[in-house]
Amino acid sequence: MALIKKTVSAPPEEHRHSARDLSGLLEQLRSDKPDIRRWAALDLSEHSEAAEILCRCLEEEQNMAVRDALFTSLIRINNNAAVKGLIPLLKSEDAALRNGVIEALRQMPDALAPYMQDMLHDPDSDVRIFTVNVLESLCHPMTPEWLLGVIEEDTHINVCATAVDLLAEVGSPEMIASIDALPGRFANDPFLRFAADIAIRRIRGANPN
Amino acid sequence: MHGQPEPVITNEEFLKFREYFYRKTGIYFEESKRYFVDKRILERMAKTGVDSFHAYFMNLRFEASGRELQTLINAMTVNETYFFREDYQFRCMVRSMLPELTAYRAAKRPIKIWSIPSSSGEEPYSIAIWLLEYWPQVDEWDIEIVASDIDTKILDLAREGRYGTRSLQNLPPNLLRKYFKPVGNQEHQIIEDLRGSVEFTQVNLSDRATTRQYRGFDIIFCRNLLIYFDDISRREAAEVFFGALNPGGFICLGHSESMSRISSLFTVRKFPEAIVYQKPL
Amino acid sequence: MKQILVIDDAATVRLYVRQVLEAEGFYVDEATNGLEGLEKALSHHFDLVLCDVNMPVMDGYTTVTKFRQERTLAHIPIVMISTEAKKKDANRAFAAGANDYLVKPVNPDKLILEVRMLTGEG
Ligand SMILES: C[S@@+](CC[C@H](N)C(=O)[O-])C[C@H]1O[C@@H](n2cnc3c(N)ncnc32)[C@H](O)[C@@H]1O
Repeated sequence: MALIKKTVSAPPEEHRHSARDLSGLLEQLRSDKPDIRRWAALDLSEHSEAAEILCRCLEEEQNMAVRDALFTSLIRINNNAAVKGLIPLLKSEDAALRNGVIEALRQMPDALAPYMQDMLHDPDSDVRIFTVNVLESLCHPMTPEWLLGVIEEDTHINVCATAVDLLAEVGSPEMIASIDALPGRFANDPFLRFAADIAIRRIRGANPN
Repeated sequence: MHGQPEPVITNEEFLKFREYFYRKTGIYFEESKRYFVDKRILERMAKTGVDSFHAYFMNLRFEASGRELQTLINAMTVNETYFFREDYQFRCMVRSMLPELTAYRAAKRPIKIWSIPSSSGEEPYSIAIWLLEYWPQVDEWDIEIVASDIDTKILDLAREGRYGTRSLQNLPPNLLRKYFKPVGNQEHQIIEDLRGSVEFTQVNLSDRATTRQYRGFDIIFCRNLLIYFDDISRREAAEVFFGALNPGGFICLGHSESMSRISSLFTVRKFPEAIVYQKPL
Repeated sequence: MKQILVIDDAATVRLYVRQVLEAEGFYVDEATNGLEGLEKALSHHFDLVLCDVNMPVMDGYTTVTKFRQERTLAHIPIVMISTEAKKKDANRAFAAGANDYLVKPVNPDKLILEVRMLTGEG
């Protein structure tokens, strides 16, 4: 029979030699071999003090697999420095990078919460949209309140449209009046009316009255 | 009786729940599953002491630990395994993936396949049987099958290779005769040769110190495990697969698990038999 | 019946597009991000794809690029629909290989017109 059984072959040597302490890993993060940078990025998940450097690497890293690893470690580290380093990247021109940031921030509810008000009031409407995107699956109990604030105050239609979409899932009955009033603030835009009606129906479904 | 109305789940609530659950797990409940789903949710509401769906859903949605979601997933799924489960992927392995992997392979490096989680062995032994039966080139290549699970007790069962009728029901009778011997008590045991062809090892997929030693694989099967993982653990699992695969290597997930909810590290490949993911060359 | 795939992470947007286009006799399927959209398009035939820009896992520009690289999908017309109204965003969409670029919130009549035109219906 052709099938053979072997003990698991030993891992390639190169990685064994290199140190996995902080300074060794930071050194490897600057290697010109993507594979070495990738393993170093992943191993740095055990060093929370590396968060700031990992964020800085994100801006320059062109290899998608390494970039992915940097994000993975930052999500695992999940501290204030990680959040602080990631938020400015929402302004990046690179859509893939931005979306990586959104996904990462979604998984850091507690570290992110203190920054939420500032982000929701950023002068750039794109940043506000991305912030609402973060709220889509942020496990933070304040989320419905934040979204309510957006649909009551934000002056950009797409920021509000993104928020009302989420309220269909997490809104509660006392928010219905605000949701209902939203399309009126934007000349009764047909899409916004549709989105508001859906949200209201979903919320009513939860509490028939 | 307390005269309190029994909680019910309205249509809109069901839709809301279905969307959320699909987004988190990839499991989509058809209308016909409505009764089953409602029943499970109502059970969890009773167990957690909430009497409105809204309250339960908010807890589920915003709990940072994700514990209730895990419990609910367990309640909604059956933790089972059997021979020739989702066999379109095995067909894809012998008809499409292996021919592609071996087409330009100069040196006769062994072909390495990893089944994680292997559970009690049904999956890796199915892989071995499919290779022997349906891959014409099987004799020309050295093949290494590594099968891993977190649970050492289940690995002992896997090494022993004794199975009851439930595990075996998808297996064609001629293959049952060829690769098993009856051992009484309605059970069958995998023949010695086949048992010797799978290497079982204990691995926790979330433990980097262990998984980093797994390298150089050509095909990985990771089926019906990631649905139970939270977002960051899934993401880390994808990193493990990326590190463990050779460039051009393939990964097969369970039918409700899509890489499209986890990571874009891999390329989607559509073969006639199945959609699988490939580490870029 | 012409088959349309709408790729957007916002459930309301998918539902809206579905409703608008189904009323016009189109068949509509949905995906919640680019990678899921690619998977769907590899398994079913579509005459047109409507694709959001900002989505988790795989963003819109990357998605369009991947469609264009895939032999069986390269010819499918793609309209990107984005919240970003800046000129450079539209340019980037065209550079990735999109056939057209619409800005949200999408006007239903405009959407129908666009879809009719690119699918050769009416
Ligand atoms: C439903 S079985 C899947 C078996 C087989 N792959 C199949 O699809 O039929 C799930 C298995 O996952 C194993 N498991 C759970 N957590 C694990 C982890 N972190 N690492 C490895 N295996 C794990 C369990 O012990 C169990 O045997």
